[in-house]
Amino acid sequence: MKKNSLLKNILITLIMTIAATLAAFWFFRHVPENPANIALVYITGLVLTARFTTGYVYGLLASLVGVICVNFLFTYPYFALNFTLTGYPITFLFMLIISLSISTMTSQIKRQGEILVEREKLLMEAEKEKMRANLLRSISHDLRTPLTGIIGNSSAYIDNCDTLDEKEKLDLVSHIRDDSNWLLNMVENLLSVTRINESSMKIATSLESVEEVAAEAIRRLQKRMPEAVIHVQVPEEYLLIPMDAMLIEQVIINLLENAIIHSESTLPVELTVTDNGNHVTFQVTDYGIGIAPQRLKTIFDGSPYTPSSSSDVYKGMGIGLSICKTIITAHNGSISAYNREHGCVFTFTLPKENAKT
Amino acid sequence: MIPKSSILLIEDEENIRSFIATTLKNQNYKIITASSGTEGLHLSASLCPDLVLLDLGLPDMDGMTVIKKLREWNSTPIIVISARSHEQEKAKALDGGADDYITKPFGTVELLARIRTSLRHSSQLNAGIHSNAPVYRHGDLTVDFEKHLVTLSGAMVHLTQIEFKLLGLLARNSGKVLTYSYIMEKIWGPYVDNNNQILRVNMANIRRKIEKNPAAPEHVFTEIGIGYRMAESE
Repeated sequence: MKKNSLLKNILITLIMTIAATLAAFWFFRHVPENPANIALVYITGLVLTARFTTGYVYGLLASLVGVICVNFLFTYPYFALNFTLTGYPITFLFMLIISLSISTMTSQIKRQGEILVEREKLLMEAEKEKMRANLLRSISHDLRTPLTGIIGNSSAYIDNCDTLDEKEKLDLVSHIRDDSNWLLNMVENLLSVTRINESSMKIATSLESVEEVAAEAIRRLQKRMPEAVIHVQVPEEYLLIPMDAMLIEQVIINLLENAIIHSESTLPVELTVTDNGNHVTFQVTDYGIGIAPQRLKTIFDGSPYTPSSSSDVYKGMGIGLSICKTIITAHNGSISAYNREHGCVFTFTLPKENAKT
Repeated sequence: MIPKSSILLIEDEENIRSFIATTLKNQNYKIITASSGTEGLHLSASLCPDLVLLDLGLPDMDGMTVIKKLREWNSTPIIVISARSHEQEKAKALDGGADDYITKPFGTVELLARIRTSLRHSSQLNAGIHSNAPVYRHGDLTVDFEKHLVTLSGAMVHLTQIEFKLLGLLARNSGKVLTYSYIMEKIWGPYVDNNNQILRVNMANIRRKIEKNPAAPEHVFTEIGIGYRMAESE
């Protein structure tokens, strides 16, 4: 790696010097009355050298070579060194100064660029850390609520076993079942994230059939919500897309479940898959109340959303959507949400080819 | 009432054991429970149950080992209970001799359906009948094994040779999941390579011929990463 960059630097210096010399010869031959051109050509060469190499050394080297070449090749006596010509020592001095300052400047700019990149990286790291902390906070909040329900309901049952009538008992147990189902969904979401490689954010993909993945997602959701009506449409031709089927199923389930629960409408939800040349688009549409505009901007951020009026906070699914985003991003796809006249639309895309990295 | 069939449940988690046992007892099955692989193998040898429910995550031995040991000397149907997101584990268990699987967490309805299917298949096998009915029927679809005829709402469906063989195989084993490798071997012979793309393309074609909406199948279901399951014959 180090050797490579050394070789590269030397090569650049060499090419620039030779190119400058060739150009200087051309000027010398065709516009001999203006020798200033030759010096300018060398200066251009050394500016470029200083720009594209690392460190001061190569720029200095190029300026030295330039000075010697001008003296040796293009000033009388030709093909001999003579530093005593009137005025020339000053020219050479200036050339040296120019090259030195440019080398210093470009290396400084380069260093500043590196510092900027470094700072950006640190910032991103901090951002990631913040997201993780946010996620943890909302998870603990989201988990505690149903758990409190489960513990409370079961304790109530055990403590008052003799005095409760059948209907009350059934109520308590069904609350426990609802809360557990919700917890299960949550845990499955969190588990799915562990399939994504933490450091590289990459996933193991295999070619999966779009219609099979869509069908299985709907079947799994309907196991939990048998009353849900979902209209699904897939392309006529058989499409194989590289993906982690488990994860994409999870995304479809989350989006469909969101649409069913939050649209506050009993109209069926739609899942449409379309073939768009180099990518496939999945679209979940509902005919409900839509999303509040101020919420739309941060809907995939995973920040817990606290509606001012509702008490039903924990069914907010904030985490579900941020997990969708994580999954789709890891697939090199994109996800977005927007309101329509009636209800809202969530779409995500998956590329047909694995992006080469 | 005479108990229907005896079922051996090998599961280390007490809560799950008790809920399955309660459910099955209420359905009039005779239930035997074991909390470890060793105990399960022992009970299986001494009591000869009609069916084994096996949790893959046991404390004393690998679930795969239990399947292998059971299969050394009997053909009792085994239904594997496993956690989600371990597709390879499930496929391995099925190819290793298990008859079916059910994913945690499961509902009682699903569990009972799986048990019924497995018991039915094993009793057919024991009686020496390949398939009790010459015709598979589910909803608007029929598959006539003898006449090589598939109809959808009375109209004939044109299938290629391979497609018919495939659908026939699934229909004969209706209700049961068949792994990719099992189907590949049955249709294309034992020397076919591991690439199941050809199977999946054929299935996609069948789906377009027998399902109204390929993304909302009514007859043949995909278990992603594992294989296919055809709805039980009516």
